[in-house]
Amino acid sequence: MMAALKMKRRLLALWFQRLPTDRLKRLKPQALTPLPLVIAEKAQNALRLCAVDHMAARLGLHVGQPLANARAMVPELEVVPANPQADAQLLNQLADWCDRFTPVVALDPPDGLILEIAGSAHLFGDEQHTLEKVISTLRAKHFTVQGAIANTSLAARALARHRDGYIVGENGEAKAVASLPVEALQLDATTTHAFRRAGLKTIGQVAGRKRSEIAARFGASTLSIIDEAQGQGGRPITPRQTPPDFWQAQNFAEPVATLDVVRAVLQTLAVNLCTLMQQEGMGARHLEASFYRADGAIRRVGVETGSALRSPAVLDRLLHDKLATLADPLDPGFGFDLIRLAALRVEPMAPTAQSLDVKAREQVEVDFLTDRLVARFGRSHVRRFHPRDTHVPEAAWRMASAQERSPPATPWQAMRTPLEAPRRPLRLFQRPELVELAQDPLRLLWRRAARTLTHWEGPERIAMEWWRPEAPQAARDYYRAEDEAGRRYWLYCEQGQRPQWFVHGVFT
Amino acid sequence: MSAHSESAYAELAVTTNYSFLRGGSHPAELVQRAAELGHTAIGIADRNTLAGVVRAYAAWQELPSPKPKLLVGARLVFADGTPDVLAYPQDRAGYGNLCRLLSAGKLRAPKGDCVLTLEDLAHWQEGLLLVVLPQNNEAAPELAERFWNKQISALPPLGEGARRADEGLSGAPISAIECAERPSSGLSATFPQGGKGDHFCDLRQLLTLLKTTAPARLWLGVSMPYRGDDQRRLSAWHKLAREMDVPLLACNDVLYHVAERRPLHDVLTCIREHTTLDQAGKLLQPNAERHLKSAVEMQELFATAPEAISQTTKLAAQVNFTLDQIKYNYPEEPVPKGKSPQKHLEDLVEQGLHLRYGQNVPDKVRASTDKELRLIAKMDIAPYFLTVHDIVKFARSQKILCQGRGSAANSAVCYVLDITAVDPMAIDLLFERFISEERKEPPDIDVDFEHERREEVIQYIYSRYGRHRAALAATVICYRPRSAIREVGKVFGLTEDVTARMGGSVWGGWGRGLQEREIRQGELDPHNALIARAVAFANELVGFPRHLSQHVGGFILTQDRLDETVPVGPATMENRFFIEWDKDDIDTLRMMKVDVLALGILTCIRKAFDLIRLHEGVSLDLASVRREDPQVYEMLQKADSIGVFQVESRAQMSMLPRLKPTNFYDLVIEVALVRPGPIQGDMVHPYLRRRSGKEKVEYPSPKHGDPNELRHVLHKTMGVPLFQEQAMKLAIVAAQFTPDEANGLRRAMATFRNLGTIGRYKEKFVSRMIERGYEPEFAQRCFKQIEGFGSYGFPESHAASFAHLVYISAYLKKFHPAAFACALLNSQPMGFYAPAEIVRDAREHEVEARHVDVNFSDWDNTIEASLNGGLALRLGLRQVSSFREDWAKKLVAVRGNGFGAVSALAKKAKLSKQALIILAEADSFQSIDKDRREILWAVRRLPDDDDLPLFAAAYVEEQPDENIAPLPIMALSEHVVADYQMLRLSLKANIMSFLRGLFQAEGVLSCAEIWAAKDGAKAACAGIVLTRQMPGDSGVVFITLSDETKIANIVVWPRLVSVFRREIMGGRLLLVEGKVQRGEGDVVHLVAERVTDRSDELLRLSEDEQDAPSYKAQASPTAKHPRNVQTVPKSRDFH
Repeated sequence: MMAALKMKRRLLALWFQRLPTDRLKRLKPQALTPLPLVIAEKAQNALRLCAVDHMAARLGLHVGQPLANARAMVPELEVVPANPQADAQLLNQLADWCDRFTPVVALDPPDGLILEIAGSAHLFGDEQHTLEKVISTLRAKHFTVQGAIANTSLAARALARHRDGYIVGENGEAKAVASLPVEALQLDATTTHAFRRAGLKTIGQVAGRKRSEIAARFGASTLSIIDEAQGQGGRPITPRQTPPDFWQAQNFAEPVATLDVVRAVLQTLAVNLCTLMQQEGMGARHLEASFYRADGAIRRVGVETGSALRSPAVLDRLLHDKLATLADPLDPGFGFDLIRLAALRVEPMAPTAQSLDVKAREQVEVDFLTDRLVARFGRSHVRRFHPRDTHVPEAAWRMASAQERSPPATPWQAMRTPLEAPRRPLRLFQRPELVELAQDPLRLLWRRAARTLTHWEGPERIAMEWWRPEAPQAARDYYRAEDEAGRRYWLYCEQGQRPQWFVHGVFT
Repeated sequence: MSAHSESAYAELAVTTNYSFLRGGSHPAELVQRAAELGHTAIGIADRNTLAGVVRAYAAWQELPSPKPKLLVGARLVFADGTPDVLAYPQDRAGYGNLCRLLSAGKLRAPKGDCVLTLEDLAHWQEGLLLVVLPQNNEAAPELAERFWNKQISALPPLGEGARRADEGLSGAPISAIECAERPSSGLSATFPQGGKGDHFCDLRQLLTLLKTTAPARLWLGVSMPYRGDDQRRLSAWHKLAREMDVPLLACNDVLYHVAERRPLHDVLTCIREHTTLDQAGKLLQPNAERHLKSAVEMQELFATAPEAISQTTKLAAQVNFTLDQIKYNYPEEPVPKGKSPQKHLEDLVEQGLHLRYGQNVPDKVRASTDKELRLIAKMDIAPYFLTVHDIVKFARSQKILCQGRGSAANSAVCYVLDITAVDPMAIDLLFERFISEERKEPPDIDVDFEHERREEVIQYIYSRYGRHRAALAATVICYRPRSAIREVGKVFGLTEDVTARMGGSVWGGWGRGLQEREIRQGELDPHNALIARAVAFANELVGFPRHLSQHVGGFILTQDRLDETVPVGPATMENRFFIEWDKDDIDTLRMMKVDVLALGILTCIRKAFDLIRLHEGVSLDLASVRREDPQVYEMLQKADSIGVFQVESRAQMSMLPRLKPTNFYDLVIEVALVRPGPIQGDMVHPYLRRRSGKEKVEYPSPKHGDPNELRHVLHKTMGVPLFQEQAMKLAIVAAQFTPDEANGLRRAMATFRNLGTIGRYKEKFVSRMIERGYEPEFAQRCFKQIEGFGSYGFPESHAASFAHLVYISAYLKKFHPAAFACALLNSQPMGFYAPAEIVRDAREHEVEARHVDVNFSDWDNTIEASLNGGLALRLGLRQVSSFREDWAKKLVAVRGNGFGAVSALAKKAKLSKQALIILAEADSFQSIDKDRREILWAVRRLPDDDDLPLFAAAYVEEQPDENIAPLPIMALSEHVVADYQMLRLSLKANIMSFLRGLFQAEGVLSCAEIWAAKDGAKAACAGIVLTRQMPGDSGVVFITLSDETKIANIVVWPRLVSVFRREIMGGRLLLVEGKVQRGEGDVVHLVAERVTDRSDELLRLSEDEQDAPSYKAQASPTAKHPRNVQTVPKSRDFH
């Protein structure tokens, strides 16, 4: 291990020039005659291109161009709104994938990765082979990618963008970057412009000036960047997976292989983790247990909770449920040499005070039950009703995940007037039932029984949603009615060619 | 109740679309619908505004009798939780109070809003009939809901209070109802204190309060919105009304004129709430019931409370106010005490005649002024002329250039009063044609002032007439196709990309509904259901008012308080106010407006006059410039018109050599000819053909009547109608419109475009002309022309005023080119051309141009003596982009005999490092004699500005002079590129000259060579794109290219536009191959056959070839290379 520290760093920079368009193209099957694809986002009050695919670039479209201009030039254009999250996610996946080449992969957002390959290049032959392997595999996956290897990340990045496939030999950075345009230093626009205006258009020309000359004009930081591009010094790269704020891990000299031991370890870790979170006033919303197998494989198991949580017992219970129901059970192989429990997402949580309020306690119970059910059956299988804001009675609710705690825009309470008899039944029939009404006395013929109505109120006229052509369109007149037995019905008359009566629900 | 009164109903709660994004119908639609339904009256009550009432009044005037009474009022929406109140003024005084009330609310709110409290109402209620609408609270619907729930809390549960079954149950409206009795305690429940400290008024308290302040002027307004419990609510209100002794009044709280408008109303609601139809939910109305309903239907709804129906007519009967009671009073200031305005005007005219003509006033002039004065006396509009004269007099005293135009401006009276400089004797303008006696409308005079000094005039108006008597008119901002489709698209959940395309973002498109063609042009399928739907709604929305804005310069001046005539609100600018009515409303009510407008060319002319006086010792003013100088016309005939007012556009430039103006009236025609009106009406070519003698001048005659009737109207323009007046006159003479009809036609074109009135007029116009024996084709063409004028009218009087400025600016360009170019540059932004073209044009006219220099330049561009005895143009620091005026002032103030060194300048002027860098980048240290690149490098070494002051001085001194290697030499091409980046022009060379060798080798001609080429010759030409235009719907694209020799005109026919679309739209440096076409008057076009984008060549200019990295192609697409930062000024496209 000490040897590794002394070893010179070797960094492989990758540049995904068209990450956003590559992402979209991978999602879709290739059309026979594909349209040029561009990504647009709103910047400076206009929709502008923020990525273009190869075809669009060939037609002269470029990043930063207003979409209107692009369309004027190329009317046949596929435009997709920008989705930086998805791009970041994809970059992350790419980083995951690069794990196979080295454990140290750093993100170079928005469209680059940096791999530390000093200790791993030999696994693939040599650096040349490693680079070729990475690039060719990624290209086979339809990514537009360039790469280069150098001793500093800045040099590697610059070369990846301007001299694809270059590998810098021993102390060769200065020579390698000398002919690159000064933009490759990735300085701010003002400094770059100043160099150009001074006639210093390549890194070599800039590096050829006196150090004091540069420092006096652009500061020591610019100087250090130039140095770094030439292979001296170099900022450390930031490994991709930042350690979570709260985590506990246990190392084993002898790998553990039995599930009982694993459970016991998790229990201990849970207690410690909860203590940690307690001290900081935090609770976990997303937990992850990682099992590091002796042979290098890693298994991660995640649990999400509906509300912040830091009770060791509950936490342990959730993990247990989860592990017990894994579709693909935990395989210890030759045993785990490290088990880690981390809270990946936390949020502030007030200290728990025992509440006398039964309702509050009930809520906690329900939440716990929900979390357990979710851990066991999956998020999409445990659901609850949420109100939906519409006039149309049968559309006034929707199903959503039971863990979704965000308060709906219209609470249920608002849908019913508290001081009055309910205006609508709690439950509606799946399908309104056709009925007949007879006059004198007013009788309702429904389900083969005649019921004499004693009281009624209405109409409440509800027009349907005209903008949904697939939905019913005729307006309805709703009535609340009561029969002699005190049963209450919600009736409506559909305004159409011939008025038809329906029972939409009964009041309980 | 008699059968007659049973059918009598007046709808009093009507919201029009002037309650912006709340009402779903135009005022006119509502008024017409109420008339169809036979309502006794209709009350227009918009949300805290009177903005729509004049439109309603205008529509009402056009209705045939018998028509419903029109009540003018407002719906008061309170900020303190008070339920909405409808307020209808009983008389003129009440109307004044309503205006004051709304003005007060507007003044304390941000622009466009109105904040009212119950206290305001109590203060201004005198003379207002009030209807409290307890169920509605537009400001806070949730408060209204809470309020209602509180009131209803004691309602009996279902069963007890509902109807008994023997009443029958059917889908039809209910005809008989027994009201439930219920304990009264519920209604007296005090309402809890609302949030934020505002008090929510309990209904009882409110009614008691208003009853005491406004006895017998109070009603309780109730509607039946089909909410299920309508009858219970009604009975509750009924009871409360009886108890409080306040009459119940029926209304339907109307939002649109017919039920079919509900979808559009939903769309409007979504636009207002910034949501989509899918998300809007209960923000939308639950049903389509809030339309105007017939008296019978209302009676059925209110069967249990018939007196609520009869109260509506009772209220209407108590209103004695109509808008024609608004008497407009001219301000008295301009008239001396004890003198009548007419007498004063006559005296001023007499004085003016002597000033203009001395002792011998020509008889013709005398006759005109006498005749005009008689007409003025008859119409009693002398004060108007005096007011305009007063303002113009002030401007002249401040040496602010100004010139009047407009219908009355080109009269002899205006000329002798010095309002205009166009001698009415020179062109034969008939005064009474512009002031229609029948219409009794005030005359219209617009006065243009120098754009940089108009503010002084405005301040004068305020100080002279006071802010309570002077305010700007409003402009109603309406939905245009582009804004409509954008907003509607959002409501339908379409992405911005799609709506932007539908809005025709590339080629523009104003003033007409979205056509299927335009949607196709945007490559969208109009048959896609969703898009078709959005387009249909957008078309319906076009013409809907969106908000009020202030008019650019139309001032309303009155003798009385303005805020008792119309509500006044604050404008964006502090201490500036505007009224709620726009120019058409003001016309309708015959109020007076003076347009105080800003015109850039006047600024330029004044600056040129100043420079000429200073450097050439010649004193000029608008009236004293030598008239009808043939050299000026010679210059214009050659289309040498860059910088000349109005005739510098590409279209005008190609017209000049064909029209060959030789006198002033030719300029008047030139100005009027190249306009959308005559172009759309296809009048340009007939006129040119007749003028050149290729076509006989003839005047079609009617079968009956004066065979020469058209000759009288059209003889000045060779039988082709070119001016707006001629078009109107045509309607009167040939189609026998009454003057009122003709005026109505003009208005139909200009404003009420959406109401389909044009169709009616067209029918009338064409059929009457045919009836009178004109060719149908001719009649159609005449109407088409009138249609064109509707939106882009250009009356002869305007054209004459503009032509005067055309002549003056051309005169200055001809005889004082240095001063003219300098003044043009100092008045930017204005006109059609970028500074580069102005400077280049000046150099072509033998004006020496000199680069910006810290030792010679001021902020403005200046004039210096030239070695050859002429004048030279010294560029000013204002041409340097991002240099600031205060820096320039500091620099000039300490300059003395000049700076010997950069460090001296830095020390003395205390300029920031950034300012010095900008100066160095702009190469403005030339007189200090150092290389641009070295100076720039040296300046960058200066310490940053934010250093501690203690060290700052020491730092500069102690830093040893660096002994550094020289920087690479800056190539001339790099210099030029840098000049363009900093100044948007270069005096060193033209960018194209560096590429000349390259293009020559390819056999490409220069622009000058194109001009010399033979007609029909095949040729290629390359240049920087100055402008791209696609006039109208033609599909033809005109491109102007420029190189170091000249400008070349390119024409691309539609077929080729689609082929070379990419190059045409995206290229900055284009290579065009095609055929030379020499037209009339030696206008040369290159008709494109192939277009190539050669913009990449520009990149070479800032690179030294040998250093250019060969792998440039791999460079990041995201990095913004400075060389990609525009090296050439952006072209001006698609105006």
